[in-house]
Amino acid sequence: MGLEKLKTILKNEKTSKTLELKTPIIGASGTYGYNSEFEDFIDLNCFGAISTKGITIEKRLGNDGDRLFEVQNGLINRIGLENVGIEAFIKEKLPILKQKNIDFLLNIAGSTIEDYEKLSIIAQENEIKALEVNVSCPNVKQGCLEFGLNPNSLFELTRKIRKNYDGFLIVKLSPNTSDIKALATAVEQGGADCISAINTLRGLGIKIDYIGNKFLKKTVQGGLSGTCIKPVALYMVNQIRQAVKIPIIAMGGISKLNDLFEFILAGADAFQIGTANFIYPSVCSNLAFELNEFMTKNNFKDFEDLKGAIINE
Amino acid sequence: MKNKNYIGKIKSIEKINNDVFKINISSSLENCKSGQFISVLCPNKTLRRPFSIYDFDKENKILSILIKLKGEGTKYLSSLKENDEINFLAPLGNSFELFKDKNALLVGAGIGIAPMLFLKKEMNEKNINNYLISGFKTKEEIIKGSDETIVGGSVLDNIENIIKNKKIDVIYSCGPNIVLKKLSQTAKKLNIPCYVALERVMACSIGVCRGCIIKLIRNNEINNFSVCKEGPIFKGEEVLWD
Repeated sequence: MGLEKLKTILKNEKTSKTLELKTPIIGASGTYGYNSEFEDFIDLNCFGAISTKGITIEKRLGNDGDRLFEVQNGLINRIGLENVGIEAFIKEKLPILKQKNIDFLLNIAGSTIEDYEKLSIIAQENEIKALEVNVSCPNVKQGCLEFGLNPNSLFELTRKIRKNYDGFLIVKLSPNTSDIKALATAVEQGGADCISAINTLRGLGIKIDYIGNKFLKKTVQGGLSGTCIKPVALYMVNQIRQAVKIPIIAMGGISKLNDLFEFILAGADAFQIGTANFIYPSVCSNLAFELNEFMTKNNFKDFEDLKGAIINE
Repeated sequence: MKNKNYIGKIKSIEKINNDVFKINISSSLENCKSGQFISVLCPNKTLRRPFSIYDFDKENKILSILIKLKGEGTKYLSSLKENDEINFLAPLGNSFELFKDKNALLVGAGIGIAPMLFLKKEMNEKNINNYLISGFKTKEEIIKGSDETIVGGSVLDNIENIIKNKKIDVIYSCGPNIVLKKLSQTAKKLNIPCYVALERVMACSIGVCRGCIIKLIRNNEINNFSVCKEGPIFKGEEVLWD
């Protein structure tokens, strides 16, 4: 395989909880399905992990109507957390992840604190190694966005999940806030081991055509992703880095090798790739190989060495 | 057959009419079935563009799609030149179910004729009786290859008579949803199975992102199905059209 250099250890220094990743490249939630859907296109060993589709207590059918709206260098989606529900995930999807030996983060979402508590208990019972808590889905009418944008409720939520769950706890933050530092601090104080950021930005897509003396209009409101959000993501990651000590898994518009370096400088310890998978289904393995080749060619002995060079030089 | 990311080369581009082009692509793709599609990378666009397979020359490994100029993606494709590279995922989606001893009616509306012509070719090779009727808004838009072509009116105007006269046992169709919906209702009334090829904006095109969902009633239960992976071919009677 030859990707040993890319081994990445995310460590919460305070509690010494760690998550070992084969590479720092993680497939972002909602773009990788539940398990091995991408194996036609990709060597699953190139992944540090995949983050599963967001799982709720009950099965959800998601939103009706148009779910996608393409914009310049980006995509607005309003899937609405369609998923099979935790019971079906444990029964049908988890065995495949285990059988194929795929490292994963279980991404969970809820509309009440009780939902998150139940989900974290189930994660604990099933010995899930890493949990990524979506507190900020912009596409669900009630629920998770409220927790995600208020430092007090976010602290409470994190604390309650922490009580139930012993594994590596990651909280995924929303960028739709005026004070990301306060949210990051709340999450760290609540006992999270790691922060992933950013979730999608709220966006509105409008298409107007003038046909036959009439304006034909279409609007799609949802979460904006893709390369157009990268500067926002870099800023947010950097703000979070200034506020907390726990590791950061960065995402938002990553599609090429240099993006990884930029996010390292901003404060990232690992990366998630989302929308780029739709354009290049093999982008995650390509990035892992390119990163490995760069490090080998330029004599970086491991990923920590590379990070140090970018941050300190 | 596994899906794969192919880098093909443009073999040739033929202008079919004012805004429809046939794009012939040479690649290492070895096989595909009628009803399946490919997903083409367009520079500077976030999403790939899905196109039904219009023809496949197995011997020379040449795949053909029909594109109708609509936006930037199709404009880019029509501007390609011989030997230009084209990046596509294939062969995607399910395919038409074929029945050896049934008389098949194929209905193509507008650019929806593309997969119907590929299906017709496959049926001819397998000696399956078939009759292809197509409809176009104007005679300038006609794409050739049908047994019957309707210009101006609806492709469905005389459909019940055709079904009766030709002793049709199964229907296949591709075109605007309104045509597929009406045809499915007619088929249901006459108790004939009707397979429809659906079109949707897609993101991943391999069944992961749930962006191109359609609702079906199957076993008395309403559920989501992805057009890209579980489709694009569905039984018309199962589709919740509105």
